[in-house]
Amino acid sequence: MMNNLRRHAGVTRRVAAPAALAGLLMAFAAHGSMAAQGPASERRPAAAQRTPATPGTAPAQGTATSPGAGPASPLASAWKEATAGYRYQFPQDHASHPDFKIEWWYYTGNVQARDGRRFGYQVTFFRVGVDRAPVNPSVWAVRDLYMAHLAVSDPQGQRYRFAEKLTRSGPGLSGAATDRYRVWNEEWSATQDAQGRHVLRAPGRDVGVELVLDEGKAPVINGINGISQKGAMPGNASHYYSLTRMPTRGTLILDGERIDVTGESWMDREFGSSFLETGQQGWDWLSLQLSDGRELMLYQLRLADGTRDPRSSGTLVETDGRTTHLTERDFTQRAIGAPEAMPSGARYPLAWQVDIPGQGLSLRVTTPLRNQELTTAGAGISYWEGMVEVQGTARGTALSGRGYLEMTGYRGSIGRVLTQ
Amino acid sequence: MRLFRQFILRRMLQEKARTVTTIVGVALGIAVVIAIQLTNGSSVRGFETALTTVAGRTSIEVVGTGGVPESVLADLGFLRDIGQMSPVIEGEMALVTSDLPRGDSGVVAPVRRSEAVRVLGVDILRDLTLRDYAMAERQQAGSSPAEALSRQEFLDLLTSPRTIVITEKLARRRGVRLGDELPLMTGDRIERFVVRGLLKDEGPAKVMDGSFVLMDIAAAQWAFNRLGRVDRIDVQLSGSPDSAAIDAALSSVRSQLPAGLTAQRPARRGEQVERMLAAFHMNLTALSWVSLIVGLFLVYNTVTISVIARRDEIGMLRALGVTRRQVLWLFLGEAAALGLTGVGLGIGLGRVLADAAVGLTSQTVSTLYIATAAVPPDLAPWHIGLAFALGVPLSLLAATMPALEASRVSPTAAMRGHDRLESRVRLQPRLLALAVVILGGAVALAQLGPVGGRPIFGYVSSFATIIGASLLVPATIFGLTRLLYRPLRRLLGVEGLLAHANLSASIPRVSISVAALAVSLSMMVAIAVMIGSFRDTVAYWIGQTLQADLFIGPGMQPTTGSEQTLSPEVQAAVAAHPDVAAYDSFRNVDLIYKDNFVVLGAGNYQVVIDYGALLFKEPADGRAALKAAIGTEAVVVSEAFSNRYGVHAGDTITLDLPGGSHPFRIAAVSYDYAVDRGMVVMDRPVFAKYFGALAPTGMAAFLKPGAEPERVRREIIESLDEGHRAFIYTNRDLRSEVLRIFDSTFAITYALEVIAIVVAMLGVAATLLTLVLERRRELSMLRLIGATRRQVQRMVVVEAALLGMLSQTVGLVVGLALSVLLVFVINVQSFGWTIQFRVPTLFLAQVSVVVIVATALAGLYPARRAARLVVDHDE
Repeated sequence: MMNNLRRHAGVTRRVAAPAALAGLLMAFAAHGSMAAQGPASERRPAAAQRTPATPGTAPAQGTATSPGAGPASPLASAWKEATAGYRYQFPQDHASHPDFKIEWWYYTGNVQARDGRRFGYQVTFFRVGVDRAPVNPSVWAVRDLYMAHLAVSDPQGQRYRFAEKLTRSGPGLSGAATDRYRVWNEEWSATQDAQGRHVLRAPGRDVGVELVLDEGKAPVINGINGISQKGAMPGNASHYYSLTRMPTRGTLILDGERIDVTGESWMDREFGSSFLETGQQGWDWLSLQLSDGRELMLYQLRLADGTRDPRSSGTLVETDGRTTHLTERDFTQRAIGAPEAMPSGARYPLAWQVDIPGQGLSLRVTTPLRNQELTTAGAGISYWEGMVEVQGTARGTALSGRGYLEMTGYRGSIGRVLTQ
Repeated sequence: MRLFRQFILRRMLQEKARTVTTIVGVALGIAVVIAIQLTNGSSVRGFETALTTVAGRTSIEVVGTGGVPESVLADLGFLRDIGQMSPVIEGEMALVTSDLPRGDSGVVAPVRRSEAVRVLGVDILRDLTLRDYAMAERQQAGSSPAEALSRQEFLDLLTSPRTIVITEKLARRRGVRLGDELPLMTGDRIERFVVRGLLKDEGPAKVMDGSFVLMDIAAAQWAFNRLGRVDRIDVQLSGSPDSAAIDAALSSVRSQLPAGLTAQRPARRGEQVERMLAAFHMNLTALSWVSLIVGLFLVYNTVTISVIARRDEIGMLRALGVTRRQVLWLFLGEAAALGLTGVGLGIGLGRVLADAAVGLTSQTVSTLYIATAAVPPDLAPWHIGLAFALGVPLSLLAATMPALEASRVSPTAAMRGHDRLESRVRLQPRLLALAVVILGGAVALAQLGPVGGRPIFGYVSSFATIIGASLLVPATIFGLTRLLYRPLRRLLGVEGLLAHANLSASIPRVSISVAALAVSLSMMVAIAVMIGSFRDTVAYWIGQTLQADLFIGPGMQPTTGSEQTLSPEVQAAVAAHPDVAAYDSFRNVDLIYKDNFVVLGAGNYQVVIDYGALLFKEPADGRAALKAAIGTEAVVVSEAFSNRYGVHAGDTITLDLPGGSHPFRIAAVSYDYAVDRGMVVMDRPVFAKYFGALAPTGMAAFLKPGAEPERVRREIIESLDEGHRAFIYTNRDLRSEVLRIFDSTFAITYALEVIAIVVAMLGVAATLLTLVLERRRELSMLRLIGATRRQVQRMVVVEAALLGMLSQTVGLVVGLALSVLLVFVINVQSFGWTIQFRVPTLFLAQVSVVVIVATALAGLYPARRAARLVVDHDE
């Protein structure tokens, strides 16, 4: 693995995170839906899968938190599960929920420079719990891994730049506060200021953002009864809410150029512990801000046999903030045209037709920039995450919109990669 | 050329014994010089190789006293603007062979250096681009090569504190496979680590011949018990920075670092180690020259003999029209032939000796200075160049005098068979005057201070003493032989008398051999006096300062840059023993003071006062000064520190501590013979203020009256569980251990000396051989007038013994003078120790007897030859 990476490092210097882990985290954590892991027997958190290490000498062996615990690991259950009836509180829920195994803060946005150029950006912070109570008293002991992805898209210049970080907290190099909203990964951070605005800072030479986002419309809770169900088992769910239209202002950095921009962002926030099902291959997720003042979030979970999982779902947000939960039966989401090959070798469908007959919505989603694939080093985990444009009709009236599309699981099965 | 072949080479082949002796002498001299050069290089180079191998692409490292507190890491984000940063824990562990002996003997075998492994603890999430790790691909039966390190193994490395990656080489050596456990010891703890990956022989894995272990930083920090700090932060600058860019980055980083931290190039640590070892290395180098000088005496001797033996022939040659210049070149040619052959042999021999010398010194270096792999030294073209540059010109120089003499042989005089040595039988007043001037110079030079911390003038003074004394040898022999006349006649009768007469008649001839032997013996005497004095001083010092009944240290020996600590379990085991009345713990850290390593120790001043753990040099009432200093920003510095940095009680020094530089008053200067690079002792609470609570590096326990230390020691060791190993010394054991280490330190010194003396003995044999050859006619006469073979043999042996005695006498006198230089000039300037001057009379008496017997034995071959030769002549 390291070998691969080393070879890789020569090609893409920037991408330095150990591939296997990046892949692992992607499998846990890529956006939209915490979906698509392997069969049930492989769903235990990886940390619990290790062979019992060093019998007789492992420190604190036999305690509930021992990393050496066997297959019926108490570790997995040590993480809290997302359960129905969760009562959201804002802004408290922006802050970290370390009792859950996985959480993320996911910002995407379409913005515009004063000269009219349009850009897209993505800033994502992940926390993935690895070992809820490490026996090692060192601050470097890994309880959580922190991953962050940053990308800026420039359709006019046909440029796509991305960077990633994969770190541990150590002596506070990365982390997520529990008392207020502050998540950071080295010099990248997302915080909430005194005025309630979200402040994103991810400086960099080739790619970077410095943005201030108003919350805009009120938070939208996805799913039913406070949980977004991802699988048949009760615990296979997450707490999932979105800020769907956040007025945004700030600066993008692209190849050393600083560009002042304004626009609108979308924040997705999800936390949970275990919610994955057998045979899920990947997902196609959309967040769309429509010109009529409404927003639409949709994801479809693709199964290995090519059909879509019945737990695919979405949320339609009205201008006034009221929401409609969409189940798998309420919408269709079809790829248009032949999939196109990306640098990683994966082929993604870049145009989509979305229909929600009950709402009279018919939308065509296309992208102004072909290559918006974020490639993590080495292990073959890549995903396409990029700005899209919408043209369509709502009950016969023409409308347009902007948004982001995320497609995962187009290169190999995540389940297979995980269980290797 | 033809002349050279016939006249010189043929003769050299005929006189096998003499030629071989001389060549061996030169070869040994050169070999010793080369061996010491290689050895000196090996310890520093071993360290530097390890340093650069592990440093990888690191161009800057951030370091601080006692490491870098990890709390500041979050403030070092600016380092990411200039490149990649990677915090590092680095240290040594020992491979534990299945079972360490323990139990009733209680003695744990000291961990051998050969079992040490270099352990690198890095954040494996971020360090991978900094160093060239290469995982060994794993072949799985019946499948394509699997991924070198599975995700599971990687995650395990990241999260399990007892998992490691080792090198393929190490795995092969130890028969370890993936998934196996490998027990490793650090400090006093033994942990079993699971091998989760194998590294190919690339990048840091090449260090110490594959004795390398990679761990995640969390695992390493815990295993080494360095919670709260990292050893350093490696920074790889973006792009491929040139030297100027690195310098710019260095100064920019330095200006932004919090107080107490600094940035440097990784090579800086190598320079510091080199400096630390410089005095030790220089002493070895100086010693190695003695052998070379003795070897050159042999060249002089041989060419002289050659000239004498062929005086008639030279006369003939001259009569036949060979010019003076040609004669001169003939004999210089002989010297060159001897020198070249000797150097050629010496280089090869030096390489062989170096292995032995590395064995002798690496133990000392790693005991006293730094853990380093004793890399088997490689001969560089530079060494070969040095050997020829030294050996050949010096051989020629040595031969100049006799060759000139040969060229001055007048054809007529030689053919008339004039006395061979008429020109030099008388004592030369000019020579005496020169000797006096040189010796006066030696005295003057001895008064001068060190140059750059090295006793350059001290060494020059020693060489001047040797040369001056050598010039006085003829006069000395002249005087001594007169004195010996009566006792010889009385003790040994006719043979004694004859031997005496022979020697007196050939003073100039034997002077050279006597001087050569005397020089090496004087060095022997000087070193014996110095070591003897030193040893007595150290013995007195430990007697005064080692007061506790038991001393407890970690199972693995600490060295500079590889701290080893005691775990709470061992401390508790000591504290819990019912017979332990009181105990105290110590803590040492390496401190960089004026860019040199010094040792900073924490001690309890009150305990020091109560138990007299320090011997004070200044002020007069050290205890009172220390009492006043309790709990204050005042330190006790060792004498070595005081001498080296020219500071004394009452002065103020600035120490770079975690958190920044702080001034400390010097409360007292103490005698200390443990740390030549200087030691600073702080009161424990003051130390803790700057360093926090660090694990101790040693403990001392005082027992209740009547408790038997040996029993208590055994019981404490037996109370330790399988995972802990401590060395516990009783007071008596520690004293003898200190002296044992002391003695082993000087093993190389003695080895060098023995070589020099062997060379000198060869010289004596060669000289006697010459005398025998020269006196063929006289010996025949002796036989004719009735002397038996036996008597002739005895006479020659007595001559040999007399030579030995003369040499030893001169050696003793010069040696004592040199020992004064060693003790009061060279030692003080290079190590800074006060040594009580003591003459080990018994030892010197024994050595004298041995020398005389040995030279007598060296006379056996010439004696036999003389006896045979006479017979041959008869028949």
